[in-house]
Parts: sequence; structure tokens; C-alpha cells
Amino acid sequence: MAAQIYGLIATFETVPDVYHAAQKVRDAGYRNWDCISPTPIHGMDGAMGLKRSIVPRISLAGGITGFCTGMLLIWYADAFTYPLVVGGKPYFSPMFAFPVSYELTILFTAFATIGGMFLVNRLPMHYHPVLKYDKIPRGMSDTFFIVIETRDPRFNAANTKALLEQVGGKDIKELEA
Amino acid sequence: MTSHAATAPAALPAETTTASAASKALTAGIAGIALTIVGYFVSGAQVAAMSWLVGVTYWTAMAIGFLLLVLIHHVVDASWSVVIRRQWEHGLASFKWLALLFLPLLISAWVKPGLVWPWMDLSHPIHGGTVGTDVLYAKKAGFLNLNMFTGMTVGFFGSWILLSYLLRKASFSQDNDGAAKWTFMNRRTSAVGVIVAALSLTFAAVYWVKSLEYHWFSTMYGVWFFANCMRGGLSLGIIIMVWLLHRGDYKGVYNTNHIHCISTLAFAFTVFWAYVTFSQYFLIWNANVPEETFWYNIREINADGSPNQWKYVGIIAILFGHFVVPFCLMLSYRFKTTPVIIRRIAVWILAVILIDMCYNILPALKLPNGDPQPFFSITLLWVLTSVVGVGGVCVWSYLKSFPTTKLIPIRDPRIVESLTHHE
Repeated sequence: MAAQIYGLIATFETVPDVYHAAQKVRDAGYRNWDCISPTPIHGMDGAMGLKRSIVPRISLAGGITGFCTGMLLIWYADAFTYPLVVGGKPYFSPMFAFPVSYELTILFTAFATIGGMFLVNRLPMHYHPVLKYDKIPRGMSDTFFIVIETRDPRFNAANTKALLEQVGGKDIKELEA
Repeated sequence: MTSHAATAPAALPAETTTASAASKALTAGIAGIALTIVGYFVSGAQVAAMSWLVGVTYWTAMAIGFLLLVLIHHVVDASWSVVIRRQWEHGLASFKWLALLFLPLLISAWVKPGLVWPWMDLSHPIHGGTVGTDVLYAKKAGFLNLNMFTGMTVGFFGSWILLSYLLRKASFSQDNDGAAKWTFMNRRTSAVGVIVAALSLTFAAVYWVKSLEYHWFSTMYGVWFFANCMRGGLSLGIIIMVWLLHRGDYKGVYNTNHIHCISTLAFAFTVFWAYVTFSQYFLIWNANVPEETFWYNIREINADGSPNQWKYVGIIAILFGHFVVPFCLMLSYRFKTTPVIIRRIAVWILAVILIDMCYNILPALKLPNGDPQPFFSITLLWVLTSVVGVGGVCVWSYLKSFPTTKLIPIRDPRIVESLTHHE
């Protein structure tokens, strides 16, 4: 049985090559693909058509949860289960619940941000099909790659290969899953 | 996608004339001053002086904000802010005029002590006695006396004018010769200057604003004023940035990341302001000591226990207007990076800073029965004329300085880094 194909990988020599190639792959409508580069490339997110991350929304949800938890915690402890007058203050006031809510807002926002980041980027990832490619170590020093996955709805072995050739990709190979 | 200004524009836009805008600003300023003088005759010296104090303090806070931003820029060796730093430096030109505009208040302190700051008049009645017999005044008299007040105020303006002069001169000279020594000189000035500025703005807030109710004390007061200075400076910076962008000056200079950075900083100081202001309120509320709580009491209830207007100013303008609304709006990346939207938020913040100043200063004006004057009164009109009066002069001094140099410090060592700034 033939090994399943993960996708096609193409090699690029320079930053402008891979940058402009990425723009064309983006314009061709591909969704499940990636660029591999030894360094960050400014503006690559735009060239690849990546949207802003959803992590900030997860952070916001975490923050709101933290704030409400703090308020509820103080209300539950001081006004509900064991009402006790302290310093002549009311059983519950948002005033003294605020420091706790504020701290929990920050704590839960931090947890949600870190957790959300790992959820979205799916790290740690112990295996990735491109690791089988024998030239991949050069992607950590002086070479750039574009990988288009077979699960992309627009993937078609012949057309995708033609696209990668047309945008200037060299040495196009199939990757085993 | 971010547009990149990878190469510095070959020719910066010619320093288009701002002369007509400057003369309009000066006209507005003189008109505002003239109307405030009308206020002196209509509502009396005390109301006019107190309104003038709001106007001068408000714009001095903005100028201190600019000064702090330039100082911090040099101290932390920032790169993104190089493209906007020149505009802050132009804003520093206003300090000598602010000193001049503060002069009437200083003269009033000598000619008619107690007009604005009650502790200057030892015969001023307070709690059944007079200031002179008040033990709380006696303990503070080494600090709260006319000579100290005068000397310190002269010192504040002197240090701000000196720092502004040094920072501007080094930065403008670098445009001509490109020497690195100016950058190092500014860094040294700023290392000292940031401490001088922090101390002077704290004492200025204590002398000019907090001592209006000299029984009261709050160790957060200087920090509260600092937070307003920073928010004001950043908001004005945003407005200037969008103005230059729409005028076309920033073509090839500006990219989305610049406005994202300045807006994010404005957002951070929104949180900081809330943290400080709430802490002050919370600690006083929790400790419940009469020497402290009276300050908030007169901003909430009249002597007979009925709520007064300041209560609603506190809830609507200070809690929601100053914090909740800008905080929620500036959570959004899109709002922070869309010039037209963030400019509206910046204008909003500038408006609520003014209300915050009113909230801190105006309740010192009392009605005949001892309750504070309400927020909506004729005084508010003179506050607005004072703000236009002082503001017109400040904007005029900025616009007059604007065409004298290049738009951005083109030979700053970090200019390329700033032009290609990426988050």
C-alpha cells in the first residue's frame, strides 16, 4: 500500500521569492498551507492572508470569567454563607470585592491567553510530516519552503504542483504523512 | 496588511505653512482669555481664578505628558516613537507660555491671599476657627506657606522649561549634523529629567490642586496627576498623528504599527489611571477616617445628606466616562488601529480629563451655606473659556514651532528602525 501523501513542498532561495510566492498561493485560494523560514519575515502574515489570531477573544473571555468569579467569591463568602459585619461595612460591596476581582481578572486572563495560544497553535507538536523531508534542516539556516497540504479543498496533485512551479518553487516533492 | 515604509521617503513633504492655523489658534486663545476676564467681572475674582486654575492645570498636564513621553523615549531608548517624538518636542514649546499664564494666579496669591488657596489666608474661617488657629495647618505650615509655594512654582516651570530647552535643542541640532552625541546628551538629560519631572509634577499637583482642601491627604495624588498627564499627552499625540496622516505629511512615514503602539500605550494608561484612582477611593472608603472621607463626601452629598451633582459627575464622567468606556473600546484592535475611530476616543479622553480636573478643583468653591458649588453653574462657562484661552496659546506655540524643523528627526540613529516598525 502506497504511503499517504501529506502534501507538496517547494523550495525557495530568497525572502522576496517566498514572499511573492506566498501572495500568489494566497490569491489562488488555498487554506491549509504554510511557509517555513529560518527567520521571521515582516509582513508574511499579510502575504499569506492570515487573519488576526482569536487568542485575544479567549483572553477577554478569561478576564470576564475572572472578574465575575472574584465578585461571586466575595459575595458567597461574606454575604451568603456566613454573613458577618466587618469594620461596619455592608455584607457585600463591590468596593472591597474589587481588589480580588481585579487580581482574578488578570490571573484568568493570563491563563486563558497561555492556554488559548497552545490550543490555537497546537503546540507542543512532537511530529510533523515535513520532518521526514531530508532537506528540511536547511529551513533552519538558509532556505525557505512552502508546503501545501492534501487536505486543502483546492488541492489537486497536478494543478497544485503546476502552481508551485509557476510561483518559482524549485525541487517540488511529495511529503509522506 | 501593514503597509511598510521600508525606505525613508526621498523628499520629506515641504514644511507646509501652518501660519494661518497658528494665528487662528492665537485668536481663539486671546478670545478665551478675554471672555475669562469678562467672567472676572460677572462672577467675581474667586470664580474666575478657580476656572483659570482648571484651564492652566489642564494644559500644563498635557505639556507635562509630552515632556514625560520624550523623557521616557530617551531613557528606554525606544525606537517606534521616533516618528512622533518630534511633535511632542514641538508641544514642549508651550511651557514658557504656560508659566506666563500661571502668573496671574501667583500674583493673586500675593495680592489677595486665600482667594484660591484658603491656607494662604490665616484669617480664613475653617471648622469654627481660622486657618491661623488650626492645628492641622500649624503642622503643615512649613510646607504650605506663600514663599514655599512661590519658590516651588517658579522651580516647577523653571525645570520644565530647562528640560524642554535641552531636549529640543539636542534633537533639532541632530537634524543638521547627524552627530550621535546629541542622542547621548538627550539620554543623560532624560535620566536626570525623568526624576525631576516625576517630583515636580507630584509637588505641582499637591500645591496647585490638593492644597485647595489642605486638611485632606492622599499619597496617590501625584500618581493620579501623572496618570492624567500621560493620558493627555498620548491622546494629543494620537490626534496629532492622525492630523499629519490626513494632511499627507506622514505619507511613507506612518504605518499601522505606529498608531497601534501609541493607542496601546494610551490603553495601558487608562488601566493605570483607573488603578490609581480606584486605589485612592478604596483606601479612603475602607479606612473611613473623617479627615480623608470629607473630600469624597462633599463630592457626593450636601450637608443635609441630599446627593449633589458631583455624585453623578463621579459616577457618569469619572467612573464610566474616564475608565469603562475607553477601556472597553480600546480592547479592540480594529478601534485602536483605525485612525478616525481612535481619534474620537482620544478626543473623548481629553474631554473627561477636563471633567476630572473640574471634579478635583471646583468643589473647593463653596455656596454661602458651605456646600460645594454644583457642576452645572456659570463657573463651568468660565472653565471652558479658560481652557480655550490657555489651549489656544498652547496650540499656537506648537504650530509656531512646527514648521521650524523637519517633520521627523531624520538623522536619529533609530529612525530607520522606527520607519520599518513592526509589532
